[in-house]
Amino acid sequence: MTQTVSIPFDAAPAEVSAFLHSASAADIDALGFGVIGFDAEGVVRRYNTHESRMAGLSLDRVVGHAFFTVVAPCMNNFMVAQRFEDTARDGGTLDETIDYVLTLRMRPAKVKLRLLADPAIALRHLFVQRQP
Amino acid sequence: MIPREGASASVEQDYEALLQFLYMAPVGLAQLARGGEIVLINPLCAQLLMPLATRGDLANLFTVLEGVAPDLAHRARAFAPLHGKVCDAMHIQAHAGKPGHDPQILSLTLLKLDADRFMAVLDDVTLSVKRDRELRHSQAWIHSISSGIFDVNYALMSLDSRGIVRGWNVGIRNLSGFEADATVGRSYANFYPEGDMLGHRVVERLREADQTGWSLEEGWLRRSNGERYWGSGLIAPVEAATEVPEADRTYSLVIRDISERREADEALRRSVWSDHLTGLANRRAFFDAASAAAQRCTHTGQPITIVLFDADHFKAVNDTHGHPAGDAVLRHLAAGLSATFKPTDVVARFGGEEFVVLLTGSSAAEARVTAERFRSHVAAKPVTVDGIQVPCTVSAGVASCTDGLSGIDELLRRADIALYAAKATGRNQVAVWDETLEQNGRAAPARASR
Repeated sequence: MTQTVSIPFDAAPAEVSAFLHSASAADIDALGFGVIGFDAEGVVRRYNTHESRMAGLSLDRVVGHAFFTVVAPCMNNFMVAQRFEDTARDGGTLDETIDYVLTLRMRPAKVKLRLLADPAIALRHLFVQRQP
Repeated sequence: MIPREGASASVEQDYEALLQFLYMAPVGLAQLARGGEIVLINPLCAQLLMPLATRGDLANLFTVLEGVAPDLAHRARAFAPLHGKVCDAMHIQAHAGKPGHDPQILSLTLLKLDADRFMAVLDDVTLSVKRDRELRHSQAWIHSISSGIFDVNYALMSLDSRGIVRGWNVGIRNLSGFEADATVGRSYANFYPEGDMLGHRVVERLREADQTGWSLEEGWLRRSNGERYWGSGLIAPVEAATEVPEADRTYSLVIRDISERREADEALRRSVWSDHLTGLANRRAFFDAASAAAQRCTHTGQPITIVLFDADHFKAVNDTHGHPAGDAVLRHLAAGLSATFKPTDVVARFGGEEFVVLLTGSSAAEARVTAERFRSHVAAKPVTVDGIQVPCTVSAGVASCTDGLSGIDELLRRADIALYAAKATGRNQVAVWDETLEQNGRAAPARASR
């Protein structure tokens, strides 16, 4: 029997790193907020159940596709995509939470986005928390 | 049971495919309720709108675009037919652009579906606008050289490095009425109404031609009998600028009489460049004029000054007297600004109740005097709307630069800081930007509580 490991959306940076290092697919699926992980080319490698339900898209339509063009063009601007690019170019880590509006099933939805990049972790991550 | 399940699975798959189709659509789409409230929106639309959403939400399209297309809500309200296009591929200038980047231009089509619903189509057309402009220039150039020079509508001549006309031909007489003695040895400024083509501008256009391969301008020209006509003047260098020292360069100048084309162009120009409610220049026209002025300013060292005006407590006017009264106040202010500033200054509607004036060749102190005159005039005379007197005051911020290097966005930011200072110290006044105001700064959300 394996117990799933969980973290809150606003977990401390060290806690997030440790979680992302070791979390299994089941752990990430069990989280109460959306998680998207994509590689240096912007191709989605992780897409958790929560995010899949919010967006109304199943995994096979998202995983393996370019995140900022095919899946979430709404984040392809200086506020999100550019932050990841800049971090990759300048080196260092990115951990910033911003207020944003996503178009989940074409409905404008206020969310908090947590932008995460760390050279020690292969994938870049976005945490998505719906706001009331 | 099995066919039913199969059908429902396929409906679900269709739904998901449709959802993804909209997620990926390379054009912005939104459906709005009567007052501009966003009901449905696709990602590209959000991508284009989020940088403009100063309040950080996408609740209402008219509110999000208020800063860059202030007349949109008015247009939608004023559109009488039950359905149809309120605006069709209207160009919206999102920002002035930074050095090395072109200003972003969005294209908006607003379709009224019925009394309660609108559909908006939004697209980033920055690149195609740029391509269009380049294409128009090349077409004008090719058209000019391929058309008959002896046509009465054309005159061709050569200029020296200072813009002095070097020879005369019968084409010049046919077009402008000027004889050889009134032409040769004189500046080409002679073909323009007095004061329109000043000495520094004459040379600037030659430098522009050196740099870009041509300088093309449309505007009023004059004939020898004083009559004005609408024409275009194309200047092109004869030699490559790198091969010949500046003093020895020669240029060809083609002047065309395009009066006939002008009326059609003018109508288009009005619709693209002017604000629907006030008839003033819109943001796009302002940024166009401002970037040209900034370029000139870097060559000439002449000051560029910006004055930002904002109607005080304007929300209260709308709340107390209704939107039609608010609109009347805006039209009143627009007319007053046009009458107060010089015809060569650019007066534009900049945001909901915000106006901007671009002055070239005037210092901050001079602009302040004019702004102050307008402010006291507005404060002294309430606007009368349907027999009711609506008192109104304005605050203004002035900023000036002489190097052109800081760019229009920076100048606007400074004028905005000065405007904020004028608001913060009691409104109904004019403030000029300086370093000390910079330390106080301003918080972005302050805009909401004007």
